[in-house]
Amino acid sequence: MIQVEHLTKKFGRVVAVDDISFKIERGEVIGFLGPNGAGKSTVMNILTGCISASDGKSMINGIDILDDPSAVKRMIGYLPENPPLYVEMTAIEFLHTVCDLKNISRVKRKVEIEQVMERVGITHVSGRLIRNLSKGYRQRVGLAQAMIGKPPIMIFDEPTVGLDPGQIIGIRNLINDLGKDHTVILSSHILSEVQAMCERVMIISKGKIIASDTPENLSHHLFGTNRLFISAAADREDVEKTVKGIPDILEYQIEDGEEAGAVNVKLKATENADIRKAVFSAFAAANQPLLMMRPIDLSLEEIFLDLTRAEVEL
Amino acid sequence: MRAVYKKELKSYFLTPGAYIFMGAFLLIAGLLFSLQNIFTGNSDFATFLGSLIFIFLLVVPILTMRLFTEEKRQKTDTLLLSSPVSIVGIVLGKYLAAVTVFLLTLVVTILFPLFLSFHGKMDWAQIWGTYIGFFFLGSAFIAIGTFLSEVAESQTSAAILTFCGLLASWVIDYVRSFVPMSSMAGAIFILILAGIAIAVFQNKAQDWRISAAAAVVAIVVVIILYFTAADALYGLISKFIAWFSLTSRFQRFSMGILKLDAVIYYMSFSAFFLYITGSRIENRRWS
Repeated sequence: MIQVEHLTKKFGRVVAVDDISFKIERGEVIGFLGPNGAGKSTVMNILTGCISASDGKSMINGIDILDDPSAVKRMIGYLPENPPLYVEMTAIEFLHTVCDLKNISRVKRKVEIEQVMERVGITHVSGRLIRNLSKGYRQRVGLAQAMIGKPPIMIFDEPTVGLDPGQIIGIRNLINDLGKDHTVILSSHILSEVQAMCERVMIISKGKIIASDTPENLSHHLFGTNRLFISAAADREDVEKTVKGIPDILEYQIEDGEEAGAVNVKLKATENADIRKAVFSAFAAANQPLLMMRPIDLSLEEIFLDLTRAEVEL
Repeated sequence: MRAVYKKELKSYFLTPGAYIFMGAFLLIAGLLFSLQNIFTGNSDFATFLGSLIFIFLLVVPILTMRLFTEEKRQKTDTLLLSSPVSIVGIVLGKYLAAVTVFLLTLVVTILFPLFLSFHGKMDWAQIWGTYIGFFFLGSAFIAIGTFLSEVAESQTSAAILTFCGLLASWVIDYVRSFVPMSSMAGAIFILILAGIAIAVFQNKAQDWRISAAAAVVAIVVVIILYFTAADALYGLISKFIAWFSLTSRFQRFSMGILKLDAVIYYMSFSAFFLYITGSRIENRRWS
């Protein structure tokens, strides 16, 4: 559906996007993840035709954006980082203007606008000036703008930035809903968000894609399930003795637990080793009851920091 | 293009823009009309319209300053650029919306000669001629304003730039009579123009050989011209400046003469400024 080949964008001497290639299939929900200034917005601006690439190709449904820009633009709904709103208009006037811009026929227009407003939940503020709307409602009007005309591809640049937690959940649900019958690309530097919404994550740093996978695979692939966190009801020394008796353990770290008489232990085993059974048997044999055991799953935050650390250190 | 035109026209009347423009223009025009025609009992309306140009020059910046600067400030330009509207459509839509507001204002002023016609005989041919001239001249002013609002970053700077630009096109006629007329001056002037053209080319293409060759050719041609056809170089600067004089072409309209060449001049002047506006937007997408 979306095919990008060797895309490069230079602003003067600064290389914002450096030879990026990727493919997105119909119906996928993709997250662009990266620190500020990584080039996420630039890629989106190129995909939507707001700016042109210095080099490389961007194709939607096999049509190059340079060959037939308006055909490509008709297939995309775009919500940039700052929702582009004419603040002097009311929400409904603005959506009518968007219909004009997108060439929606007069007959379909009324139903279309009503449906979209219903879906993003702005029907009750449709008569208010956008200038007077709160940030959350503005964002929703921006979303409505992107959804007008039912484009098969939706591109959202940081859709939840600056919203309160309730609004974030609202927008997240909406995007999850859209993801059922649309191809969605969204960008974020909030990682839990990408984890909650996206089937696939592309981590972008310094204009390059440094990883592309499902959130689970990224986590698994990079760090495996060889880390455990356990809590046992026993003395420190006894626990240390038990841990030393378990094979395959590379590192361990023992701390006093929150509960009285319990200690917390972090274990790291060799690659691909599943030590859960061994841990259980060892502690059972030593008569040290395990209160809790869970694998340490690295959050995207940690993966992200780990992958982009090189950059931070520079 | 229609979508942008509609949107822009709507914005004009949803923001104070159109009202300030129409109010300011009509207020001053009304005052001037009372002073020049009513109080003195004068029915020479064409002269009044002629003096109205200067007022118009003062208020055009109000009309054009927000066209592109506001889009940039509100970041709504991404909406236009990501929707299936061509850049030509965007520029034309905005320009025509401004011209429409101007035309509406002009229609209101037709009341003035109508009042006069109750009390005396009017030279309608002359009045229509002046109106047509005014309309095309005004459209050319608006094209300059449109371009400068694309160049400027804020409404204020767009307004100031436009005002200075229009003032320069007004003053240019007076400057003409003071520039040196000799053939030597003409030759030097051509060399300066060629120099600028070559510098621009060099900056874009970065090819020293072609630039140097062009410079040599320019110098040789100018020397040959100077010794063989010095007459052609005489008064060249003045003629060159005359190309940019918008107001001098207006005089003929107010005599009731409808000159096609002047109409074409104004239209191509506008087209040129709209073209460079569009290519600037296109350039920004690429750079």
